[in-house]
Amino acid sequence: MNTNWTVKSIRDSVNGGSVTALSIVDEALRRIEEKDGEIGAFLEVFATDARKAAKEVDARHAKGEVDLPLAGVPIALKDNMLVMGHIASAGSKMLADYRASYTATVVTRLQAAGAIIIGRTNMDEFAFGSSTESSAFHVTKNPRDTSKVPGGTSGGSAAAVAAGMIPAALGSDTGGSIRQPSSLCGVVGMKPTYGRVSRYGLIADGSSLDQIGPIATTVEDVAIVLSIIEGKDSHDATSVVLDDLTSENVSSDLAGVRIGVPKEYFIDGMDEDVAARIHEAIETLKKGGAEIVNMSLPLAPYALPAFYIIQPAEASSNLARFDGMRYGNRGEGAIEESYRSARGAGLGAEAKRRIMLGTFILSAGYYDAFYKKAIAVRAAMKMEFDAALKKVDVIVGPVSPIAAWGIGEKMDDPVSMYLADVFTVSANILGIPGISVPCGTAHGLPVGLQILGKSFDDNRVLQVAAAFEALHNAS
Amino acid sequence: MDIDIKRLATLAKLQLTDEEMEMLARQLPDILAYVSKLQEVDTSGVDAKAYLTDAVNVLREDVITSSREERDAVIAAFPKQVGGAMEVPGVFAA
Repeated sequence: MNTNWTVKSIRDSVNGGSVTALSIVDEALRRIEEKDGEIGAFLEVFATDARKAAKEVDARHAKGEVDLPLAGVPIALKDNMLVMGHIASAGSKMLADYRASYTATVVTRLQAAGAIIIGRTNMDEFAFGSSTESSAFHVTKNPRDTSKVPGGTSGGSAAAVAAGMIPAALGSDTGGSIRQPSSLCGVVGMKPTYGRVSRYGLIADGSSLDQIGPIATTVEDVAIVLSIIEGKDSHDATSVVLDDLTSENVSSDLAGVRIGVPKEYFIDGMDEDVAARIHEAIETLKKGGAEIVNMSLPLAPYALPAFYIIQPAEASSNLARFDGMRYGNRGEGAIEESYRSARGAGLGAEAKRRIMLGTFILSAGYYDAFYKKAIAVRAAMKMEFDAALKKVDVIVGPVSPIAAWGIGEKMDDPVSMYLADVFTVSANILGIPGISVPCGTAHGLPVGLQILGKSFDDNRVLQVAAAFEALHNAS
Repeated sequence: MDIDIKRLATLAKLQLTDEEMEMLARQLPDILAYVSKLQEVDTSGVDAKAYLTDAVNVLREDVITSSREERDAVIAAFPKQVGGAMEVPGVFAA
């Protein structure tokens, strides 16, 4: 990895005065210009605003602000986060020309810390998908192999970081959408605990599942960005006052750390090379001093079916607001006809599928059998995980059962696409933190190790991730 | 499972082409069959609520914090407007 293109090294150089924020932004723009034609990670680059913001950071430096935690660091946003005056389309034709009327809290916090918002990245429409192929705009390619998908739904953010265009990006994770593309592209991506980071200004997908988090090339960089964006925000009632703030000085000590390995995270049909990398990673953690505890989470296999009930139910409700009245293109005809035609013309296949699915699940006669059952399973799963996490500090396993697949391969088979999320959805169902850390390759493509922790024990997840990263890099 | 795609599309206020309806009639039963695996789980005796945080009744002061600029931007995003108000088709039939 390019060691002088990390969040930490850029921040330290800008604060130290050896480079200007403007020269960093120019370098990021040059890299994007050079590489993004092939990759397609960005939907829009905010070149003018980024240069202007860089000059402001340089002016702050000149006035004595020499310890900005993200001084001059170029950061990209997934296209579902609002920056006032800029387009935020959520990867949808419905919002192709929608300009945000306010700025997301995460963006305000990044800017105050000296970060430069460099542009918006491609994503599956409204964050429905696992490959970024459901974007209404273009396909993003995996920088490790351009015939493969980058994963999704934050595929543009992961690809931009993996290609070395930018040191960090924000993604959002509703069922694995930060961790899975990070795994498939070979970068570090974290879904913090539900409630840790404000979602104000995030276009909602599944409101009880959504969380914003960082993607970067090192665990330390992820911790630095998380330490800035986290914390209570009066604009998001689900955000909480944190007792335990994220420290950018992540300990990488494994002594006394107990790591659970659930047998349910190694399933039939899983790629053998992926499974081998995960087993080696567990061995690495053991050699590093951690205690490995084999365990069973009998309800874990039910996380995915529960997710594909709860998520469409919530998303179909959230997407009701896209009716052509306040945003997007107005439909034709009288009011009912106008709603229908605006939604029919503005939404893509996967969005329509989730809306129909969610509408069915919530409809009279099916609500109890599907939605209510899924909520009950969610509660039962929570009890099971809470009990398991009393015995161990973290749980590890794969992020994805397979490495990156070919572009177009799964587009006609939704159930097979949904199965890509089989190991990631538990964290969203339970609200717990999870991270993907690179742990080698399968068939020449990156594999990510997933580390899950207790609610609000994000620091412990980062600690085990940092320890693994150090051991893996040294091996 | 028998799904009335047309009725569902009406409930969802979604205009679908014949091809889209045909595709969804094929795919939705597959997805519902997959998620029906949940019926295997015994949830009797489970309190069917799952709150992810302990927060209850999160309140804030009832004061306007957004700016005039934000208000204007909201209005500017409306597909149709008249004098700063959103213009919509008639809601009640004449």
